[in-house]
Formats: sequence, C-alpha cells, structure tokens
Amino acid sequence: MERDLDNANPTILSVSQLPSRTRKGAATRNGPDSKCHDIVYPQHHWPYGCSSSSDEGEDYREEPMDEQDIYDLISTISDPEHPHTLGQLSVVRLPDIHLSPSPTELSGPDSLVTVLVELTPTINHCSLATVIGLAVRCRLEQTLPPNYRVDVRMKVGSHAQDDQVNKQLGDKERVAAALENDTLQRMVDKMLETCA
Amino acid sequence: MAQFNQWALEYVLSDDEIAQLEIVKKAAKEIESSRASSTVVGNWAASVQQWMTPTHADDDEMEDGDEGGSGNIIARAKALGFLAGTLEALNKSILKSDQVLRLIGFFGAMFSYDHKAGITASAKALRRLYAMKAFKPDMGVKILEDVCKIKEDFRLQTAVTRLEIYELFLSLVQDPAVSSELRLKYGPSSGFVIDLLQLCQNERDPRNLMVWFSILALLLTDFDPSPEVTEEIFKVFSAYFPISLRSSATPIGITAEDLKEAVRGCFSAHQRVASHAFPFLIQKLDQGDAVTVAVKLDILKTIQACIERYENPQANVVPHLGKIWNSLKYEVRNGEVKETIDATLNVLRAIARRLDGTATNKLDVSLLSSYVDLVSRDCRDDLPNPTYTKQAGLLLMTVIGSNIRAYLLYNASFIDTIRQNLRQPKSPAHTKDLLLLLNSVLKTRIELFRDRKQGHPDDVQGLATETRAHLDMLFHDVYLPIWTTKATEPVSEERDVLKQVIQGLALLVSQPVLLADGTLALLCSASICSEICSLLTVTITKGLTLSSNDKQSEDSALEDEAVLALRTIVMNYTDGYAELAARVKAEIKKRNWVSPSEYSLNALKDLLSRFTFIGCSEIPSNIATDMPTQKQPSTLQHFITLTTNLLELFPLSSQATSSEVDTEEGPSANAHVVSSLHASIIWFRDACEAKHGKEALASPFSDDQKWLQEFQQFPEDWPSQIQHGNDGPDSLLSTSQQYGAEVYHRFLKLGLLIVRHLYRSAAFGPPGPWGERALVQLSQMAALVVRSLDEKLQVSCNLAQEAFSFFGRLEEQSVQSRLSGLLAKLLTLGILQGLRPGALEGLYTPGGEAERFMCDTSSFGRSPSRESDIRAAIGAILANKYNGKPPTSDPDSSVMKRVLDFWANWLTEAVAASSAMDPATFHAYNTIAMNVLDGAAARQDKRVLALIPTLHQAAASTHPNGKILAQSLGLIVKENPLLTPANHAHLKRFYKQWAYTHLAKPLLQAAQPAPDKDANAAARYRVAVLSVVSNCPFTVYQDDLDLLIRLLVTALSNRGGDDGNGQSNQQEEEAAWLAHVVAALEVLVEILNHEPAALKEYLREVIGGVTGVYQTCSPIAFISQGGTGSALKVQRGTARATCRSLALRVLGAIPTRFEERHVLAYSLPTQRMLAVACGDPVRKVREVARKARANWAMVVV
Repeated sequence: MERDLDNANPTILSVSQLPSRTRKGAATRNGPDSKCHDIVYPQHHWPYGCSSSSDEGEDYREEPMDEQDIYDLISTISDPEHPHTLGQLSVVRLPDIHLSPSPTELSGPDSLVTVLVELTPTINHCSLATVIGLAVRCRLEQTLPPNYRVDVRMKVGSHAQDDQVNKQLGDKERVAAALENDTLQRMVDKMLETCA
Repeated sequence: MAQFNQWALEYVLSDDEIAQLEIVKKAAKEIESSRASSTVVGNWAASVQQWMTPTHADDDEMEDGDEGGSGNIIARAKALGFLAGTLEALNKSILKSDQVLRLIGFFGAMFSYDHKAGITASAKALRRLYAMKAFKPDMGVKILEDVCKIKEDFRLQTAVTRLEIYELFLSLVQDPAVSSELRLKYGPSSGFVIDLLQLCQNERDPRNLMVWFSILALLLTDFDPSPEVTEEIFKVFSAYFPISLRSSATPIGITAEDLKEAVRGCFSAHQRVASHAFPFLIQKLDQGDAVTVAVKLDILKTIQACIERYENPQANVVPHLGKIWNSLKYEVRNGEVKETIDATLNVLRAIARRLDGTATNKLDVSLLSSYVDLVSRDCRDDLPNPTYTKQAGLLLMTVIGSNIRAYLLYNASFIDTIRQNLRQPKSPAHTKDLLLLLNSVLKTRIELFRDRKQGHPDDVQGLATETRAHLDMLFHDVYLPIWTTKATEPVSEERDVLKQVIQGLALLVSQPVLLADGTLALLCSASICSEICSLLTVTITKGLTLSSNDKQSEDSALEDEAVLALRTIVMNYTDGYAELAARVKAEIKKRNWVSPSEYSLNALKDLLSRFTFIGCSEIPSNIATDMPTQKQPSTLQHFITLTTNLLELFPLSSQATSSEVDTEEGPSANAHVVSSLHASIIWFRDACEAKHGKEALASPFSDDQKWLQEFQQFPEDWPSQIQHGNDGPDSLLSTSQQYGAEVYHRFLKLGLLIVRHLYRSAAFGPPGPWGERALVQLSQMAALVVRSLDEKLQVSCNLAQEAFSFFGRLEEQSVQSRLSGLLAKLLTLGILQGLRPGALEGLYTPGGEAERFMCDTSSFGRSPSRESDIRAAIGAILANKYNGKPPTSDPDSSVMKRVLDFWANWLTEAVAASSAMDPATFHAYNTIAMNVLDGAAARQDKRVLALIPTLHQAAASTHPNGKILAQSLGLIVKENPLLTPANHAHLKRFYKQWAYTHLAKPLLQAAQPAPDKDANAAARYRVAVLSVVSNCPFTVYQDDLDLLIRLLVTALSNRGGDDGNGQSNQQEEEAAWLAHVVAALEVLVEILNHEPAALKEYLREVIGGVTGVYQTCSPIAFISQGGTGSALKVQRGTARATCRSLALRVLGAIPTRFEERHVLAYSLPTQRMLAVACGDPVRKVREVARKARANWAMVVV
C-alpha cells in the first residue's frame, strides 16, 4: 500500500542536538590521560569499609517531575511516516511542554498537575496530526501518575485544521473510541515501540 | 582362471561395497602372490570377458529402453569396476611395464568404444595405472590421447566421473616427465591442449571447475603454448569471469571466493596472457553502473594479482599502464564505496612496487618515474579543488608512499604543491585536507625510514642523501603561520585545522634523518623542537593561567590533541620533557595554593594529569637529537624527571584551610600532587607491560638486592639534587638499562624510593601538608609498588616492619609519629595490602604487631567510623595473610587462635545483659571483629568454626548490640576489595559456600517464625541469615530456597520495629530495618532471575510484602517523620529510595516470570499502586516504576 508521504523531506535533528538533562557530574573530562582518573582522582576519596560513600546519593536525589521528564517520555515516539522520532522531527519540542502548577510550586505529592503538550506537525496539512496526538496522549496516560491531567494540542497556527484536531484530542470519549479501532490501536502501538 | 571368473561374477552380483572390497583384495593378493605372472594377469583381465561383448547390441537395446540392455551395461560397468578395484588394491610395484601399457591400452580404448559403462571405472583404473612404478611418461601421452577421444560424450558423464577424469588430467600435466614428453611430441602448437579445451569447455560443476582451472593455469605456465593456443586458453577461462556460485541447499565445501581465486589464478598464471587479460579486465571495469561492488572488487583484485605475478613488468605491465590508470583513477576520485577505493589503491600501490623492482633487483628508474609522473600530472590539478583535494591526495600518497624510490622522486615537489595550495586555501576545510595530506607525507616518511632495512642498499643510500630543504622549512613556512593566525579563540572549523597542525608538529619533530655513519638523528634542530614544545605547552597550561570567568570552550579536544602530540614529541626529542617540566613547575609555583578555588584545583588536576600522561604513558625511544646531549637518554629519564619535579612541588600548601581541617581531608592541591605520583606509577607500569610484555614484569629479581641500605645512603633532598644536575643517588639512575625486566626493576626501585620518601615526609615531617585524601593516595601507591615486588625483596627490604615504622631511622622510630592514629594506620595499610603472606611471617609472634592490630580495641580518635574501617581493613589483611602452618608445639598457642578467642570473649561480654557498651562503639569494634573473621574465612581457617556458636548466641542476645552483630554477619562473606589475588590474598575458591554452610544454614530453621519460639531470637536469626545470604551468589543458597523464601516473606511483612525510645533510636531502628529489607529484596531479585518457579507458591505474600515495603518506605512517610541534619536526611532518603527501587524491580519482574493465570488476581491493585509510583519524587525510582507498570499492563484483565 504505497502512498505519497505528506512531507517527503522533513528537517531532522540528530540525537545529540535534542535537549537532554545534563548532569552536574557529567562534565568530567575524558581525555587520553583520563584512564586512571577513577583511581587517582576518585569522586569519593575514602575507599574503605562501610563509610565509603557511593554515587547512589546522586542518583537518588528527590527531583519532582519537570518538562524535561515529559519530553523524555514522548520525544522517543516514532513518527508514523518516517523512521525518526517525534523529537528528531521537532514535532515535540521542550519549550512547548507546560506543567501547571510548575514543579517548584507543588504543594503536595497528590496535588493535581496539568500537562499541556503542544505539537508542531512538520507541515500544516499533516493528515496524521491526530494520530500523533493520540500516541502522545496514550504514552503520557500510560506513564504518568493518576494526579496528572494530560492535554495534547496542536500549536496555534501550526496546522490548517488545528481546531478540529484539538477538539478530537480533547474529547475523552472520542479518544476512547479511537483506541477501540484495531487499525488505529496497532498504529499507536507501533509508534510507541521505540519508547524505552 | 576359474577363480578370477568366480570372483568377477561375485563382484558383479554383489551390491555390498564391503564384500566387493574383499573380493578385489583377494584378486589383488592372487596376482601379487604369482608375482604378476603374465598368465595370472591375463586370466584376471579375461575374467570380465563375458560382459564385454557384444557392445553394439547393448547400445541398441539401450536406445530402445530395454530393461535387459541397461542391465548389461550395469553388469559391464561393474565388471570393469572389478578390474579397477583390483588395481586399487594391488601393490604399485608389482605390474610390469608391458602389462601396464597393455592395461592402459585396454582402459583407454573404453573412451573410444564404451561411453556408457566403461568411463568411470576406466578413469579410476587409469589414475591407478599412472601411479604404478612401471608407468612410463610416453604412456601418459597415450592416456591423454585416448581419453580425449570421448569428445562430445564427455559432458554426458556424471559430475563425479568427470571429476575423476579431471584429476587424471591434472596428475598428468603436473608430472614433469609426462609434460616434457608432451612438449617433445607436440611442440609449441600443443595440439593436445586444443583437444582438452574442446573436451572440457562446457564444464559447470564447481568442484570440477576448481580442478579444470588448475589444469588451465598449468597449461599456461608449463607448456609454452603458441600465441594462438594461448588465446584459446584465455578464451576458455575468461568466459567464466566474473564467476559466481548459486547458493545451494547442499553445501559442497567450495565457496564463490574459492572459484574467484581459481579464475584469478588463471589470469595471473603467466605474462603471456597479459595482452589479453588487461584489456579484458579494464573493459569489464569500464561498464559503469552495470558492475556491482562485488564484481568490481573481483576485477580489481584480479588486476592486482596479474600485476604482482607477471614477470618482466616493463614488457607486460607498462604497455597497459595508461589504460589501467585512466580507468582506476575515477574509482577513487569519484568513488563512494570504501572497499572499492581500498582495492583500487592496492592496485596502484602494487604497480609502483612492481616498477621499483625487488630488494635485490632494482628496475630502471625511468619506469617508476614515468608512472609517478602520470599519476601526479592528473592529481596535481585536483589539489586546489576542495571537492577533490582529499581523493587526489590519497591517490598521490598511495603511489609515493609505496616505496622509498617513489617517495624520493616526488615528495619534494608534492610538498611544494601542497604548500602553494595552502597559501590560497578555499576554506578552512580545504586547509584541513591539505594539512592532512602533508601530515600523511610526513607519516609515510617515518614508516619508510622504519622499514628501510628490508629495502635495497640504494634505497638506504637515497634516504641518506635526500634533500631536506623542503622539510626544514615546513615549521616556519607552513605550520607556524597557520597556528599563529588561528590559535587565538578558534571557531569550530578552525579547531579542526589546528588539530591537524598539532598532529603535523608532532610528526615533524619525529622525523628522522640518516647520518653518514648509518645512525639516525632528528631532522629538526633542537631550537625548533624546543619551540614546538613550548607552543604546545602553552596550550595545556592555558587552563591554569585563565580564571573561571574567562570564556572557555567545553570541548577539550584541542588540548587532548596537544597532549598526544607532546607525548610523541618527548619520546623523540627527549630534552623536551625537561623543558615541559620546567614550564609546568613554574606555572604551578606562580600561584598561591593555600586556599585555591575549585576552578584552580580542577585546572591543576588537569595539568598534572596531562603532564604525567605525557611523560609516563610510553617508554621513550632512543633517537638522538642533532645536539650531543651530555647524557645518554635513559628509558627511565622522563619518569625520573616527572617524579622528582612532583616531589619538589610537594607540598604546594603547607597547611589545610579551615574547612579542610574540619573534614581531615587535608589540602587538596597536595593531594593532587600525590595522585599524580600514583598515576605516574600506574602509567609507567602499563607502559612497561605494553612494551616488554607480561613476562618481563614477572621475571625474578636478582638475589643481592639491598635497596633499603642503598636508600639510606641518599641525601634527604635527592629529588632536588637530581633536578639540579647533581648526580646524587646516581647508582639508581645509571642509564644503560634497555632490557624489559631491568627497566621494570629499576622503575620499581625508584617507585619504592618515592614511597619511602613520602612515607618519611608524612610520618616525621610537619603534619600540615598531609591530609586524608593525600594519604589514601599514598597508601594505594605504596600497595601498588609493594605488591609488584617478589617475596625475597619484600623480606630483604623488611617491608613488614616498615609498615609500622614508616621507613624511619633508628633515632626517629623512638619518636612517636606526628600523624594521628587514623592517618598513620592508612600508611600501615598501604604496605600490608601489597605484601605477600611469606613476607609477613615475622609479624605473627605472640603479642606481636599482627596480634596487636587484629585485637585492637584501643579507643578511637576523631572519626570512629573511618578509624574502624581502617583497623578492620588491616585486621582482614593480617588475618588473611596468616600463613596458617600448624605450629610445631601447642596448636592452641597460635596467634590466630588467640585472636579468635579474644574476639569470642569480647563479643560475649559486649552483648551480655550487663554490658554497658553503647551501640555506636560496639558497631565500630564489631566491624573490626567481622573483618578479621572475613580474612580468616577467606582461606577457610578451621579455627573460625569454633567461633560460630558464639556468634549465633551473641546475635540472639536480648541486648541491642546483638542486633548490630546479627546485621553485620554478612561482612564475613562480603566481597572485600583489599583481599584480591593481585594483592596476594589467600582466597579459597568455595569459601563463601563454606561460610554459608556453617554460619547461616544452621539458623534457617531457628529463624522461621513460630508461636512456640523465642520471637526475639528468631527475628535476630532472620537478620543474620539475610545479611549473609545477600552477600552470597545465588548458587550458594539455591538448595535452601524453600526455607529461605519463608524468611523473606516474613522479613517483608514485618514493619520496622518501633521501640519508641526517642528520635535517634527510632532512626537507627529504621536504618536497621531498611538494611534488612534491602537484603531481602536483593535476594528476591536473585531468586527471580535464577529460579522464579520457587516463588510460585508465595506470589500473594511476595506481592503483598513488596507493595507494603514500597508504601512504608514512601517518601511521604519520610517527610512527615522529619530528619535532623541534611547529610543524615540525604542518607535516609537514599536508603528509602533504594528500598523503593528494589521493591519495584521485584514487582516489575513478576509478570515477566510467571504465566498470566498466576498473576491475574493481583493485576488491578498492583497496576493502581504502580501508577501512583510513577509519580515518585526520585527520578530513578520513577523509571523503574514505569517499566514495572508496562510489564503489568501486559497482564490482560
């Protein structure tokens, strides 16, 4: 079933260009002379016994969910047309993810948080915008805790029929009905296969 | 006669191969026993007579498809098989010449008359006859002629029969006597060849083709065929080119590659086909897109084989050069596939090598020079065009670099062309490509110099007399101008250019020149080398001169490149390292290191690390500069320069800042210097291993070593004495060592000298410069040096005692070391860690140092936990390296027995109800006790077993200390990083199994919860068992899973025991409970990974327990309970998060290990819980929760 692609030549970012969480510790240099750095310049200088600290403290810091977390969840979804991810195609962009209230203002662990994701289709008449929106919605609903409300929209002006698409994506019943459709469900599953 | 007839009949009637073999053996024996008398042989041959006639009737019947007719043919074939079989079994020397001739005549006739039945057996028989002793060469000619008479019917034979005939042909043409007979008879017209070609030209079976191609190659090389015949032969094998092989379901052991090789062998067999081969192959190559990569590679490899194998290249290769070059250059210039480009370059290289001649026989230089001219004419025009610069350079470099003569002919003008182009580069990328070319010319030059000894004497002479003006000017004319224009704040593309410049500079300094006396010297003058060194040194010291506010690129690629280049430079220009050291030292000394910023410390760390790498990661070569140096360069020279400079730099700061004093860490700048010394030992050791191999490192030391006495003769300030050129401890630095083992031993001696120097400085010098961080590094460095010495040397250096006296002189030893207990013990640990058990023997006297340290219950200093770590480490090492030889007198008096008895008493007292020892102190001492047990258990010391009942009793005690003991039992089997084979520890292979069997297994029943049991004791045993089990591999406890799982379930379902004795007690309780649960969860993960089926009956309890643990450890609970002090809070938060993460891992693994029906019932509540867990405040826990949630989502409700 060959059909013409909606956008045959999208702009593709390489994985290294995508926004990612840069850790403080990741700045350690890795030059030709760094082979024995772990031994002579260890992160924690006390190597003996139980009081030797490990890196776990770093990894187990309490950090509330932020926009980058949401981005990491959905940027790896595959595009239904191209062998690239939504992040690489800039359909999902970090500045277009909004959390309210923002992570720093959270009053408690159970307080209600709304996640608004604005998608930017690669062309403004993209016929698969709804499917992409549906996949993003599914992914977030499968991975976020119950106190998070998900709102997926087309970015204003990015799609010729953004009103209609937004209406479809915002309507819970229509979303549920769409996922009853085997073909659509398979398509969404295929898109989510690349998510870790 | 009748006998042979009978056997022949039996043979024909039999279908059993073994029976047939028996029959022919009998026949052969009969002939042999008669010594091949004519009568017997005649009878034997006549025995098949009845099947031989009449032939024509058979054929007619056969054509009619008559069953009886085909039966006759089979019988006849079998009858002939009887004769062939007998020949096979017959002794080779038994038949006489006339008999052989007659038999050849008989079987040869079959090829004329009996194409249906006779061929297979006849071919076999003829091959056998050829092998007979009485075989004469002229018979070979007859065989060939006879066989060729089969003509058209040859292709109707089966592949196996044809193979038999091909093998026969091959044997004949390979035989020098037969082939000379053939040449004599047929002359250059080689009529038989034409017959052969006609006979075999339609062959398609791969196995047969392999033999056929060998025959064709032999016909070309050995038979000197006329041009017409040569052309015919060429036509036959070239028709197969390019050959391929259809994949078959039944592999025949021949690959397409074998066939290609065989055809290639025909093409390259002899230069007489050159005039056909080259045009044919080039024409195939020029078919453009129609040629696939595989075919192209085949063509290129075939051309290469032809060039390499044809003799007299002047007559056979040169005439075709123009065509070959014109066709091949586009493969590189416009090619995209790496394989074809490489294969093309191989062809071009092969041409240059062929035209140069061999090491013994050089060809006329005009051949090579006209080829190089041809190539350079085309490529030179491409260099100014950035699109083709790289490709043109690649072509040129391949040709020029292929041999010394080509290089000498053209390198000057090539470098000149590059220089001209560099003056007007089209873009930074163009500059980069041109520099890359220039660098590869320099690299090629080094390689040609290296391989010069395999070449012709003229080549070596050529190298010695080459003009070097164009090379001399490279630095000032090319590299320096580009460096100066781009070095300040380079942008991304310029950084790539600079990288090439740096690489070029390193290559330039490494350029050798051949002196008249045959020795090598450096091309660049010392002043240029020095200038290059200082240019690059600035790049690596820049970090220190800038401040944290200066804008600096994150990318350190340029500095890394400079580091690598400097390393190459100082390996050749050995004086460069001293210059570098002086610069580095001056830069570091310029700064005040009393309270440096973090930025400065990082810059110092980077600089020292690079400085160390440059000097010690490779062993210098012995190339001399053009300036006569005062000393012969030594392989240890850089190591000495580095370490003496670092020792001179130490201490950078003589006192710690206030924050550093608080933490006992000591001045970080000083620690960095010690770290660099440690790194230098690691690097140099690895370099020795890389250069001289592991054997050199393991070679024994000579017996008469008195290192310590020698060291004592050295002045205290030996590093600066060496620095300032005074010979000082010259015996140490005498520089003739070249052999691997000797260099390594000298290096270790120096290493020990450095360790001694630093130990003395730490123990008897002012305490200000030394902190924990520096001493840990020193201790590890000492361990590394000490463990590399053999036992004799460790004993002769008295290291076991020095571990406690820190290399102090007699008068110093009486003075108490100025270091605190903790820091002094760090020094002790360093040496003990590396000692071999034999060298420690002297310490195990009753009441001696070993006993004192193993039973150390003296009070602790400022940091009890650290001090107990160190004492525990020392205890473990001493207990492990105890020789354990049964003492001759009373076994009870052995030190180990006394130590274990001591701890048994101590533990009993400490957990007695009346004990007033507070838990923190108990914890610290208990760690020492457990580590001593660990050391002894690792070598399965039976005396440990006597202590185990005491341990069990103490663990069950109602005293709170009993619980601490129970928790710490795992230390006995825990992996101890100090007890490794590298550190000469004594580790029994199954000691964990042994310890588990005695320590934990007896408690498994007692630890089960039951109403009639002492609940406290059972709980303590549970803690003890899980502590041990979680430190053992799965195989150790896999037989006790049933009992163990019940314990795990109980551990998970019991919430933390809240004694409610104030906040601190509560926190300790929680920490203990968390440790217990983590141990349980770790064991569960192991069980799930190895034997999940064991958990099937307990799924409800496990899921319930794990869910409960997750909820109890929830961060909310943590926040509401609050915590004091941020460090403690972080620690508790981490412990809880670890617990949650493990709980979720267990939960997530369950649906993947069990069938859906087993987990279905728990799906909904678990999914709800996991959905909430996806909002965990810790990112890593969220990730685990998401994976678990996805796994559970697969369970369809």
